[in-house]
Amino acid sequence: MSHLSSRISRTDHASASTQIYDAVIVGSGVAGSILANELGRQGFSVLVLEAGPGNDLSIAEYEASVERFYLSASKDNNSPYAVNRNAPMPRGQETVKLQPGRPNADGYIVQNGPLELDSTYTRVVGGTTRHWEGKALRLIPEDFEMRTRHGQGLDWPLKYETLKSYYAKAEAEIGVSADVEDQGYLGISFEPGYVYPMRKIPISYLDQVIGKNLDGAKVELDGETFSLVVRSTPQARNGVPHPGYDNGKGYVAPSAVSTHQDEMGQRCQGNNNCVPICPVQAKYDARRTLVKALETGRVHLLSQTVVSRVHIDSGNGRVTHIEYKAYKDLHGKEHSAGTVKARVFILAANAVENARLMLASGLPGSSGLVGRNLMDHAYLLTWALMPEIVGTMRGSQCTSGIEELRGGAFRRKQAAFRAGIHNDGWGWATGAPYTDLLALVDDQNKFGRALQRGLVDRISRQLLLDFMVEVLPDPANRITVDPDHRDQLGNMRPVLSYRLNDYTLDGVAFARQLSRRIYQRLGAEDHTTYSPQEPGWVDYQGGGFVIRGGNHWAGTHLMGSSPKNSVVDANQRSWDYPNLYLAGSGSMPSIGTANTTLTLAALCLISAGHIAKELRSAPTAAAAR
Amino acid sequence: MSGDRAEFEKFLGLSEVLTGFTKFRLQGTGQGALYFSTLTDVVGQGTAGELLQAWSGVAAAAGQDEGKLERLMRSEILSHEKLGPIARNLIKLWFVGTWYQLPAAWREVFGTPERDRSFVPAASSYVEGLLWPTIGANPTGAKGPGYGTWADPPNIPKV
Ligand SMILES: Cc1cc2nc3c(=O)[nH]c(=O)nc-3n(C[C@H](O)[C@H](O)[C@H](O)COP(=O)(O)OP(=O)(O)OC[C@H]3O[C@@H](n4cnc5c(N)ncnc54)[C@H](O)[C@@H]3O)c2cc1C
Ligand code: SF4
Repeated sequence: MSHLSSRISRTDHASASTQIYDAVIVGSGVAGSILANELGRQGFSVLVLEAGPGNDLSIAEYEASVERFYLSASKDNNSPYAVNRNAPMPRGQETVKLQPGRPNADGYIVQNGPLELDSTYTRVVGGTTRHWEGKALRLIPEDFEMRTRHGQGLDWPLKYETLKSYYAKAEAEIGVSADVEDQGYLGISFEPGYVYPMRKIPISYLDQVIGKNLDGAKVELDGETFSLVVRSTPQARNGVPHPGYDNGKGYVAPSAVSTHQDEMGQRCQGNNNCVPICPVQAKYDARRTLVKALETGRVHLLSQTVVSRVHIDSGNGRVTHIEYKAYKDLHGKEHSAGTVKARVFILAANAVENARLMLASGLPGSSGLVGRNLMDHAYLLTWALMPEIVGTMRGSQCTSGIEELRGGAFRRKQAAFRAGIHNDGWGWATGAPYTDLLALVDDQNKFGRALQRGLVDRISRQLLLDFMVEVLPDPANRITVDPDHRDQLGNMRPVLSYRLNDYTLDGVAFARQLSRRIYQRLGAEDHTTYSPQEPGWVDYQGGGFVIRGGNHWAGTHLMGSSPKNSVVDANQRSWDYPNLYLAGSGSMPSIGTANTTLTLAALCLISAGHIAKELRSAPTAAAAR
Repeated sequence: MSGDRAEFEKFLGLSEVLTGFTKFRLQGTGQGALYFSTLTDVVGQGTAGELLQAWSGVAAAAGQDEGKLERLMRSEILSHEKLGPIARNLIKLWFVGTWYQLPAAWREVFGTPERDRSFVPAASSYVEGLLWPTIGANPTGAKGPGYGTWADPPNIPKV
């Protein structure tokens, strides 16, 4: 870590095992990094254990990831990250069509079905934000009161009003670019005088063309009329700092993890590659927060350290220590086992891994809810060719969306959704632009200038709308573990059971219908097709759709008002084990129609405040035992 | 001109017709020599020589007649059982920097060269893919076009 400040204090496994930390955090993703930073800044000693590699946080390591992406012939979501047999991660292409009754155990996540789910996450230092897209929408107030307002799903033990100031703090931490004027819809409110840290990212030419033709279009649903508008999307990537931020104090755009290169960490360059990796670090990733945490001098990081078990004192119900396996390299199984102790333990390994780790430790929770109620957004992709050239493949992956159907009385009957307008063409649905080139060369026998014209005609008019549809908590959707399915280190792998109910599918069907109307209005050629042979296919009223995963794993340790209806309380503290916290989107009782990260970041800020208070009030020695 | 140099010139001439970009533009990617050696490494000197010889024949017969050039490209190379798939692979290599494994049908008849799998010869091959300038965009994940450029109408070169 030569470039990092000398304040950073380092440790190794041997000395870490002799200490009693104030907090041990499992996972260095955005959840773990925020908690580490907040606690470190308040003077607490913290150890972060990270399963993945990437300890040096250097530009060389980052560039190696970019290069790995350039060199990969498949360029999938996780292509910048090396295969790691000791802390494996799901990869989209592992998701294959299931045969009824036969699980697919070939990928890292064992898929039981009935529905396949191609969502992924990343196990490297910094976690999944290394390759996230960076959409940073707030939930809307009614999302917190689904049961009360719509008679569906679950209520949260806290309300939008409580989260509001934490949303603002989270937006500062991850650096969100947006304009308040655009974002106050469906009851979303801001603290007085609030402005986002950075001005909105300019919307793409494609968005502008769509807006011109679509704004004001009316949609009837359940007796309500909605008027559509193309609206810029809040994003955690560097834009132009807002001079009015923080009562005129302004905002300093976060810099890259390494500042060796001037262009690193600067404004978004429109590289259209936020997933899987931003080459100039314009996009937030959790290493930014992690480096700040390390620079407090009170936070230690041990990477290549897979936590394998949480141990409980059966007498007092407190966590005594956790056990890990630290491996040498990504391939061989050589590793050493050890334990660490702390006053509080925080699992921030993401919704799947938190549940996996609890279950592998024999801790299903007194409610039996650990691992259950798994949610993820159901994505319906629809794609079309615009009547004119719109310059597809420029800008960040999405700069605008359609948000009006995120809320309304219809939610007592069917799922809400938002639509993202894609600047990166049909890539997600069809593998464009590569598949377009192959089709033109191999099937349409084009070469030379005719090929060039064909490429422009086929690619530069592409429009893809992704409909991100709400999914409710369903106890049958769950992560479990099975001693027969283990990784190379002997850790049990997650086993997934997943299905979608009619509430969501009715929303999906409505979204498909709406997409047809949008294309009719735009004069765009609808090229959408779904095949029952594809993974994610669901039957619906004689037809069907292909549903893609949203990568927004949630609900597996949901928060609630009592130990009976939930795993954690509103501070993400385990009801069963008072010095244990399960942090991240696993705590969310609903996911509405907002990508989960901003909300989980806000929740972690709440938890950090609470944990700091607890640590201060508990006498050190007693709490440590 | 050494034999290799002459072969390389033929390779560029063929690439020019396959891609619709000038030799100058192709050389500007810095990938020419790498792609030429990729071709010979994967399919072997002999087969690469056959392709370039077929190209020489086409070029000589067509002269300045563009219509004839196109017809001969199709009849002598693109529809040739052995050479067609290789020529199509060269197009793909220039456009997206990936050598795609040759079709199964080709491999059944002409063998399975050891290096014939899908791969990207160098990181710069991806970055220099000609698909991106063709559609007025930059390679996703490289050569960032600059903040806010996406808000302007696209600037796509006329072909
Ligand atoms: C392709 C893609 C696009 C996305 N786009 C968006 C978006 O636009 N907006 C949005 O809000 N969200 C998006 N997400 C989701 C977002 O990335 C996650 O919500 C977020 O990263 C979760 O943060 P986390 O810290 O909880 O978990 P992670 O980021 O997954 O971090 C968990 C960390 O824990 C480590 N870990 C796991 N197991 C162990 C163990 N046993 N021991 C030690 N360490 C362990 C992991 O290695 C990892 O570093 C996207 C996700 C993907 C995959
Ligand atoms: S569009 Fe490009 S520069 Fe901007 S955040 Fe995404 S990858 Fe980075």
